[in-house]
Amino acid sequence: MGEPRVVERFKKRTIWFHWIHTAAFLVLIVTGAILFIPGLGSAAAGGLTRLIHRIAVVFFVGLPVVYFVFNPRMSLHFIKETLTWGKDDLDWAKVAPLYYFGGDEEKMPPQGHVNTGQKMWQFVVLGTGILFLVTGFVMWFFKGSVAPGIFQWCVVVHDIAFILAFLMLLVHIYLGIIHPRMTESLRSMWDGKISKKYASSHYGKWYDEISASEK
Amino acid sequence: MQLNRRDFLKASAGVGGLVLLQPAVLAATNEFPNTSAPQSDIAMLVDASKCIGCWWCYAACKNYNKLPETIKPDPEQAPELSPDVWTTLHTTKRDGEWIFRKQACNHCTDAACVEVCPTGALSRNKLGFIQYDKDKCSGCGYCAEFCPFGVPQLDSNKLTGAAVMDKCTFCIERVTNDQQPACAEACPTGAIKFGRRSELLEEGKQRVAELNNISSKGYLYGENELGGLHVMYVLDDSPESYGLPAAPQVPPTSIVRNVFQWVGIGGLVAIVAGFGLNYIIAREAKITSELPGKEQMGRGKRNG
Repeated sequence: MGEPRVVERFKKRTIWFHWIHTAAFLVLIVTGAILFIPGLGSAAAGGLTRLIHRIAVVFFVGLPVVYFVFNPRMSLHFIKETLTWGKDDLDWAKVAPLYYFGGDEEKMPPQGHVNTGQKMWQFVVLGTGILFLVTGFVMWFFKGSVAPGIFQWCVVVHDIAFILAFLMLLVHIYLGIIHPRMTESLRSMWDGKISKKYASSHYGKWYDEISASEK
Repeated sequence: MQLNRRDFLKASAGVGGLVLLQPAVLAATNEFPNTSAPQSDIAMLVDASKCIGCWWCYAACKNYNKLPETIKPDPEQAPELSPDVWTTLHTTKRDGEWIFRKQACNHCTDAACVEVCPTGALSRNKLGFIQYDKDKCSGCGYCAEFCPFGVPQLDSNKLTGAAVMDKCTFCIERVTNDQQPACAEACPTGAIKFGRRSELLEEGKQRVAELNNISSKGYLYGENELGGLHVMYVLDDSPESYGLPAAPQVPPTSIVRNVFQWVGIGGLVAIVAGFGLNYIIAREAKITSELPGKEQMGRGKRNG
């Protein structure tokens, strides 16, 4: 814990993005889940939560768009990173379960800027984001004009995307905040910094790369 | 195998059931189980062969429910159901003559609207018909989109989505006070009858038998459809020619939705339990690995 946190892992704007997006998503989850989980529906009576859902969506969708416009290269890099899968990921998957249950750290292959598990989360965020967006758009703007069968499937797909995104969010929160090994994750999403020790043990490949480029 | 929908839901509650879902749902919903509407239910019997298209039911409905009134409609431009039109006539030309069928909520026994309504605004009255509580309505419109007859109506604000659903109430204040629904009372030809469902069912069957002496197309619509409708129709032609779907069903999507609700809850329980287990084991291992000797060794290797 006493290690100086000197390695820049996230830029300020990325951190802002992360937390505003988180806030918007939490509002969407709460106002959406009450329509989905049996027994909570009475909270939606009167329709106020549906209005809040729509307001939150403006931020949820608008923020990535704005971010993309001002940081196209970083955004494209994020998308490319999310969609690039290879042998490294397979190697990770072989030892990761043991590692997360406290197994030997040395058996873990060195990871890049994000590890395979984090990439899975990014993939779910991107994938369900698109599903939410398309189905939500139809339900918002084409209710009554699109064929009922299409509307119904939009509801179902929106539901399934919610299950996926919500359960993976729980995993994300657990690993970021609670898991005994992820000691610097949450703080790094606050001020963007991690220690050299944490960088080399968690993201060895990336740490080696940035160390080399600094020389 | 005969499955009714509830049995099916129980059987498919497990994730394993998902694989077989689509065909099984279709099979289960396409075969009408014997009517499951209780004997004590009330209903209406609409005899399309007796309807003369006078629109008195339409006018009486508007008048009693204080909906904006209009002039007597032209069969060429029959009004469609809307938040201001809870009952209307479906009009078709047959051999140059108009034929009519009263059109409103059919008050199904297997009611898709009740199934999908998130807030419980739609529910079944103990007399069998489908009632709704406007204060509970969130305006989501799922009822309108899942109803096999397209009955519930909402005028949604395109931007905010604000809306409140409306449909035929079965004149709940009247029928729970020993009165007929306004439309049935107004009908001058006896084409709309109100009473016990079991009695109207017998009457409908008799009437269909009479019609079948003339042509063979007589059909009592609503006896078994969707578990038994609470508005049944005596038809002297195919359901389609009166604008009724031949095999209405609760959309399979509504059942898929139910199944995924339980998949989601199951996933949640599994994940939270997994976290607990993981935390205990990983914490124990971390404490062990932080014994000074081992820690030094491990890092030396990595950084070297």
